[in-house]
Amino acid sequence: MDTLLSAQERDFARQMRQFYRTEIPESLRFKVATGQELSKDDMVTSQRILNRHGCAVPHWPEEWGGQDWTAVQRHIWLEEMQLACVPQPLPFNTSMVGPVIAAFGSQSLKERFLPDTANLDIWWSQGFSEPNAGSDLASLKTSAVRDGETYIVNGQKTWTTLGQYGDWIFTLVRTDPSVKKQAGISFLLIDMKSSGVTVRPIQLIDGGHEVNEVFFDNVVVPVGNRVGEENKGWTYAKFLLGNERTGIARIGMSKVNLARAKAYAAVTKTARGTLLDDPLFSARLTKLEAELTALEMTQLRILSTQAAGADAPDPRSSVLKLKGSQLQEDISELLVDVLGPQGLDFVADRVQAEGFSDLPLGAVDALPAYFNTRKVTIYGGSSEVQRGIISKALLGL
Amino acid sequence: MDLELSDIQQELGSSLAKYLRSEYDQSVREAILGSEEGISREQWKSFAEMGLLGLAVPESYGGAGMTFAEVAVVMEAFGRALVLEPYLATAVLGANAVVAAGTEEQKQAILPGVCEGSVFLAFAGYEAGQRYSLDSPATTATTATASQGLATDGTTASAGDASVTLHGEKCSVLGGDVADQFIVTAVEDGELGLFLVDASARGVSRIAHRQADGLGTASVLFEDAPAQRLDSAPAAEVVAEVLDTANAAIMAEAVGAMETSLKMTADYLRTREQFGAPIGTNQALQHRAADMYASLEDARSMALFARLAVTAESEGAEKDRHRDVVAAKIVVDGTARHISQESIQMHGGIGMTMEYPIGHYAKRLTVISRTFDDADSLTAELAQLGGLIEPHAADLN
Ligand SMILES: Cc1cc2nc3c(=O)[nH]c(=O)nc-3n(C[C@H](O)[C@H](O)[C@H](O)COP(=O)(O)OP(=O)(O)OC[C@H]3O[C@@H](n4cnc5c(N)ncnc54)[C@H](O)[C@@H]3O)c2cc1C
Repeated sequence: MDTLLSAQERDFARQMRQFYRTEIPESLRFKVATGQELSKDDMVTSQRILNRHGCAVPHWPEEWGGQDWTAVQRHIWLEEMQLACVPQPLPFNTSMVGPVIAAFGSQSLKERFLPDTANLDIWWSQGFSEPNAGSDLASLKTSAVRDGETYIVNGQKTWTTLGQYGDWIFTLVRTDPSVKKQAGISFLLIDMKSSGVTVRPIQLIDGGHEVNEVFFDNVVVPVGNRVGEENKGWTYAKFLLGNERTGIARIGMSKVNLARAKAYAAVTKTARGTLLDDPLFSARLTKLEAELTALEMTQLRILSTQAAGADAPDPRSSVLKLKGSQLQEDISELLVDVLGPQGLDFVADRVQAEGFSDLPLGAVDALPAYFNTRKVTIYGGSSEVQRGIISKALLGL
Repeated sequence: MDLELSDIQQELGSSLAKYLRSEYDQSVREAILGSEEGISREQWKSFAEMGLLGLAVPESYGGAGMTFAEVAVVMEAFGRALVLEPYLATAVLGANAVVAAGTEEQKQAILPGVCEGSVFLAFAGYEAGQRYSLDSPATTATTATASQGLATDGTTASAGDASVTLHGEKCSVLGGDVADQFIVTAVEDGELGLFLVDASARGVSRIAHRQADGLGTASVLFEDAPAQRLDSAPAAEVVAEVLDTANAAIMAEAVGAMETSLKMTADYLRTREQFGAPIGTNQALQHRAADMYASLEDARSMALFARLAVTAESEGAEKDRHRDVVAAKIVVDGTARHISQESIQMHGGIGMTMEYPIGHYAKRLTVISRTFDDADSLTAELAQLGGLIEPHAADLN
């Protein structure tokens, strides 16, 4: 290959670009483009349109709504979606639990859950982390004790993203406390309306309510809600986390945010011209553009070998996570710096009041986004965990 | 050379620290943060009783007649406790401007109230779209001739100096949400001037905002608002001096906040266990904590450098003063970013919550590193000032 994308791939990209811009309501894409918070309805609306056109879960098996696409096509699908500022399919549904059920679930679980999961008729939450099981996830303590054809679940999950909307939660639970910690874990699907499930909000420093604690108090769960074999949950979790890591570089999104910072800087006056002309600011911005391009090329290099047949998760995806998350944080910091003193307040609206001038573009979301973006180097395997993987799996240290 | 604090300064620092530990702990602060005004007027009274509000105000106006060094001691202690009350706005920016530019009569009218805690001041300099520039505000001052004054409003002519009116909009006015008096920059006949405006005067309206760190600010509109001149010294010089002093003050505060952040992070590394051991047993984190320590030392040194610059009394000290403060703030801005980001990262998810204190420190530091200026604009300014070291080629010795 000596061109980056083949003629067919470029064609595919054009189709995707057009599809996103014609089918997804402008109002939704505008919200994403300007960093506004999406409501539950916004996310459901977007995912259902995508699903209707076969674009919510292309990476799933074809019989459950997937597409026979190459790794490069899947990359284009996601990249173009981000560039078009389309609200993305709920990752808990489409990248996490869906592929696990499709790969390891019983036929009845697949039939019961996969169509509704693809269409966001069911909203899934991820119940992995616990207060004392973060990076060391395998030390989780939430227990599921077998009682005939049911499990009785007790314990606590935390950091449950958007758990306030959750219909179902996929969990890792301890089904055998007597063996090595990884060997006693099962993957259990729990209806969040079951009695004994309590969801409590956690306030974050960005001013929002994104995560929750979820408590389980003698919750009765049918054994049939277990995915795969008992005590094999860790294997499924590793499969899931491997999938999570590849999409996590968010290069398209970073391009959009960098473009935004650049556009705002171009209309921000300084003593010597615009902020975009400022040598120090422009040096920072330009360096980020070059680094983002390097990351994109790394991603394409990894993809091109995957397209040639390799299907197992590539340990180099840890590089994508490590670099991609750092870039997201750097870009969020740059956007705050564009705003200067007017970016330091938490405000709900750019429009202040009659007689007062409007706040600058980005004044509502830049600083909350900066604080929120701290999460990307913490979750999905923290940067420290990724460095551990790179040094062990790739360097043999 | 004696760089240590004097006995009196140490005593001030330790008695204030003791007070804040018992009367301004996390739960007290949380209640203040959640209150309507976001500050505690009772705390403010206590600060007044302790003599903190007029530390650097001459005794003849109700102050303690001390120097900026004592103010820096207070700011550092306030940084450790994340005090929310507008000390910087009132006792530093506001009081210093009145001391420097007020007439005898104005000082007598305002400063005793500041010292006893009955008056809040705020410096209104920044304007929308002008970032950190204070040199040429769009706000204008107009002096009406007596007949014009009478023609439009019969009351203005009789009210002493009230024939000066201000017109314009200010933004990011620190402490402007509660201020009783504004100290406002405006241009009259092409020259920068400083003016005093009563917050309750006609033609003054404000919108209160809260910064991300909980401190109050405001956008303030002056529509032909009656004002008094503060002109017993040239406005540009007063503004420069007041800002340099405020910058030195905020650096002391930053040092307090960084010191506490590092202490909390080190405690967390010692106590948080993952993979069966405290996370601080990982050398990767030990080294990063050591880097934070080194940053804190840099910050401490430069806060001292700035303090010495603003307290220097030698001939021609103003020129070096500004340059040194700029150099100091470049370093403090960078270390504040470094320490706040790393503290959150090493705490993992809990570092992003409102419930746990570390995130509050990170918020304050994030705001401080963009208050009055940011590292990029300062670096450009220092370069323009010729830097700190004279060019000198070794081979010319
Ligand atoms: C906003 C947000 C949303 C989240 N959403 C979800 C969700 O929906 N569902 C879910 O299950 N979880 C979720 N998580 C949890 C996330 O996966 C965990 O936060 C993550 O695993 C880190 O765990 P921890 O927060 O307990 O930090 P810890 O594991 O306690 O780590 C603290 C610090 O120590 C470092 N560290 C730990 N071990 C080592 C080591 N061996 N070597 C070097 N450094 C180390 C970490 O990298 C980190 O810097 C979310 C987290 C956040 C912040």
